[in-house]
Amino acid sequence: MVANMDDEEQWEDVKSRKKRVEITNGFEEEPDFSDPDDYVDDISDSELLPDLLEKRPKEADGIDAVIVVDNVPMVGADRLPKLKTVISKIFSKFGPIHSDYYPEKDGKTVGYIFIEYEMFQGARDAVKGADLYKLDRSHTLRVNLFSDFDKYKNVKEEWTPPERQPFKDVGNLHYYLEEEDCSDQFSIIYEGGQKTAILLNSTSGPSVVEERPRWTETYTRWSPKGSYLATFHGKGIALWGGEKFKQIQRFAHPGVQLIDFSPCERYLVTFSPMPEPGNDEMQAVIIWEIFTGPKKRTFQADMSGDDDRQWPIFKWSHDGKYLARKAKGVLSVYETPSMGLLDKKSISIDGISEFFWSPADNMLAFWIAERNEIPARVIILSIPSRKEVRVKNLFNVADIRLNWHKQGKFLCVKVDRYNKAKKANISNFEIFHIQEKQVPVDIVELKEQVNAFAWEPTGNKFCCLHGESPRISATFYEIKGGKVECLETMERKQASHIFWSPAGQFVLLAGLNSATSQLEFIDTSDMSVMNTGEHLMVSDIEWDPTGRYLVSIVSWWAHKIDNAYWVWSFQGRLLRKHPTEQLCQLLWRPRPPTLLSHSQIKKIRKEHKSYSKIFEAKDRQLQNRASKEIIEKRRQLMERYLSYRRQCREVYLETTPYRRELRNGVNTDEVDSHAEDWDEVTVEILLEEEDIVLSDKE
Amino acid sequence: MKPLMLQGHERSITQIKYNREGDLLFSVAKDSTPNVWYTINGERLGTYDGHRGTVWSVDVNWDSTKLLTGAADLSSRLWDCETGAVINVYETKSSVRSCNFSFCGNLFNYTTDRQMKHEPRICVFDIREPADAEPALSFVVDTKEMSKPMCSLWGALNEYLITGHDDGTISHWDLKTGQLLHSVKEHTMLIKDMQLSSDQMMLVTASKDKTAKLYDAPTLEHLKTYKTDRPVNSAAISPIRDHVVLGGGQEAMEVTTTSTKVGKFDAKFFHLVFEEEFGRVKGHFGPINSLAFHPNGKSYSSGGEDGFVRMHEFDQSYLDFEFEC
Repeated sequence: MVANMDDEEQWEDVKSRKKRVEITNGFEEEPDFSDPDDYVDDISDSELLPDLLEKRPKEADGIDAVIVVDNVPMVGADRLPKLKTVISKIFSKFGPIHSDYYPEKDGKTVGYIFIEYEMFQGARDAVKGADLYKLDRSHTLRVNLFSDFDKYKNVKEEWTPPERQPFKDVGNLHYYLEEEDCSDQFSIIYEGGQKTAILLNSTSGPSVVEERPRWTETYTRWSPKGSYLATFHGKGIALWGGEKFKQIQRFAHPGVQLIDFSPCERYLVTFSPMPEPGNDEMQAVIIWEIFTGPKKRTFQADMSGDDDRQWPIFKWSHDGKYLARKAKGVLSVYETPSMGLLDKKSISIDGISEFFWSPADNMLAFWIAERNEIPARVIILSIPSRKEVRVKNLFNVADIRLNWHKQGKFLCVKVDRYNKAKKANISNFEIFHIQEKQVPVDIVELKEQVNAFAWEPTGNKFCCLHGESPRISATFYEIKGGKVECLETMERKQASHIFWSPAGQFVLLAGLNSATSQLEFIDTSDMSVMNTGEHLMVSDIEWDPTGRYLVSIVSWWAHKIDNAYWVWSFQGRLLRKHPTEQLCQLLWRPRPPTLLSHSQIKKIRKEHKSYSKIFEAKDRQLQNRASKEIIEKRRQLMERYLSYRRQCREVYLETTPYRRELRNGVNTDEVDSHAEDWDEVTVEILLEEEDIVLSDKE
Repeated sequence: MKPLMLQGHERSITQIKYNREGDLLFSVAKDSTPNVWYTINGERLGTYDGHRGTVWSVDVNWDSTKLLTGAADLSSRLWDCETGAVINVYETKSSVRSCNFSFCGNLFNYTTDRQMKHEPRICVFDIREPADAEPALSFVVDTKEMSKPMCSLWGALNEYLITGHDDGTISHWDLKTGQLLHSVKEHTMLIKDMQLSSDQMMLVTASKDKTAKLYDAPTLEHLKTYKTDRPVNSAAISPIRDHVVLGGGQEAMEVTTTSTKVGKFDAKFFHLVFEEEFGRVKGHFGPINSLAFHPNGKSYSSGGEDGFVRMHEFDQSYLDFEFEC
């Protein structure tokens, strides 16, 4: 009781004190959190702070930071300090070194050393960076993690072969080539990206082959031979193919933005600017093997310079055997299938600006800009021999564009120079005759700014647009018997782009994204304008892979209204208009190159007339059938409508008395059904009068 | 066919209508003066002065004695058609969007906008009553349940009222009780205009969703759809041929970005049954806001955002033209 009394007193005391505190500063006094004296803590540390314990140093950490370096020169004590300085110079750049150890035997080092870094990262980077380091001619350093030795030691003696993966039959990837009328497929993305469809462009109009909502998140790409359709997703790329467009392969690359197929469709290069979660290394560029699916090699991209800003970063040789990439002052050529650097060494080219593979040979052309009194150079390099096939120096160069002839016979170098006033650019062409001895060069002078250039895909013609807007001219050249001939200059063209038919001979000059939007179809065999058309606000042009059709597209990505694709014949006849809500992209499905030999093609050309009769008959038949179908459909519609109208008429006649009643007995069923009530009014119309005095001037 | 250009309005045409015989054409515009024209030569016969705002809608009774207009100046006016004198002014709380005479001409209706906290209202008056008399029928369209009416028509024999709404719905209303009879929603966007066939059995609607649709007027059964690449502002059914004409164009605010060359301001002729476009008439340099066939079917008129009314006489080739079927 006494104790209780005390407690109460104390309580009162506390209350009054608390009040005082509140009065004085308005804050409440903090409660007492300390443990009572007899309290025993029964919670273990691991339960209490697992996150902190996780970071507790472990024995293994030290071992992880140790590397073993092999192939170190064996030296005596007299040269040991020198070796140590060389070694520490090489290895200290990967991180601070904690300690090193040079084992000795008979007064000489034994050829391997141990280095312990302060952090694991240092050891990891050293293994990556210093392995295969060439110390001198006879010493190439091999660097391994110390902890890896255990791993290698524990490798089982017996080797078990990896399990055979069951063969996945994806069906005939080229089934679409078996289409009876050789109609081509194309893909469209519309409704602002919500829907993607594959359509078949037959003579009677396109029909849907496959349509899926949200098939891709951004856009689509066909592989170069048309086997696969690539769709883009947040997590990576998916490839689709076969008759039902089933998923064939997936490549996980978060944030992927750009892709590039190798010409043989064996490899896929993907690019993503996003780092992979959980992996602080940037795997910006990944090369995949398409059919089996694994990563072949990853690369980092350097977005600070210009070198990696252009896509593709890696350019494939025509046969897919090599891929090349340029960086500051070097050109790196990699081999397939190892994806290793060709001859383990990049080609050092100071000031390399731009390079392109020849479309026919393992040869690449590049140029080096002019600087410090050294003229600009265009160099053609053979791979893998690295032999310079041709070097040409060029003076007073502002810019250079390299354009390979599609069969690799010629290289056209467009050289821009400043005129005397240092104002406008003037261009000329330097044509390298690759297949002739010592690669002679022809020069074509233009004296004007060149806006567009394109080689004929099959044949030796090229076209360029030159002059300043609005006075643009189109000039056609042909290389005949080793000489460049000017075929024709067409003046006053409203064009900005050149689109050759994939079959050659025919070319479209188009003004894209301009107010004119003119399309001009030209036959280069006699240099005649076959037809001109106009598709307002046209943003894209796509020839079908056979050169029979052309589509002009107003993409939603470029222009928000009137999104449509129009199909034209190669002669420039507008066949069909297809307004498509928010059409984004249209791509023809490519065809693989023909398997026919040159002589076979020649033979077909010769017998063309006999074939064309068959095709014409077939077309007529199709047309007849189509028009018959239409007429049949119309007839049915009309019948249904007429029977509906008969019913209407009956109702109408039945209700005639009611109508008359409503209009005071006047029959108003026909316009003139109460003409007897009309008042005739005569309207006089005064036509304009004018007096003209004719007088002879004397 | 050389069209007659009727130049009498200072601002965009909102609606045009022929009288029953087709000798007169009435036009209303965003200027406040309705006009009447001789269709024979395009001469202006007179004006109806009195409104002080955009006139949205016009109608003439069957014997061309009275004219009805609905305007944004919060009034609907009844005029003497011949003298142009105002017979009655019906004051409203918000602007009048559409107005129509009944078949007999003794009744008329108007619909009002949703404006200044006033819900849209549909009213029916008897013109034989004095101006201050109570309306024969007046009810509010509850915008919580359906969108506001944009246009209205009388059904055959004064049996029901048809309204076209902001969300693409068309509805039938009972004329005695103001009850909603039934409604259908085929269009996805607002309905700008509705017109009946000459026998009042078919209804064509023009919608901002770039289509015009044909319905059976008594049942609102959807029959046909005419697709274009522009919002459709007006559509009319030929009284003699199985044709419909559609007029429209993109909205006024987008007009300046497109040239007239594209042909988006053309009047488009469709076959009523086959839904196929077979002809175009160009001329306006702004969207067409209203279209009407002459009752004899041998000419038609269009009123545009450009402020002109164009009266087109059909060529013989049009009258001879037949679809293969």
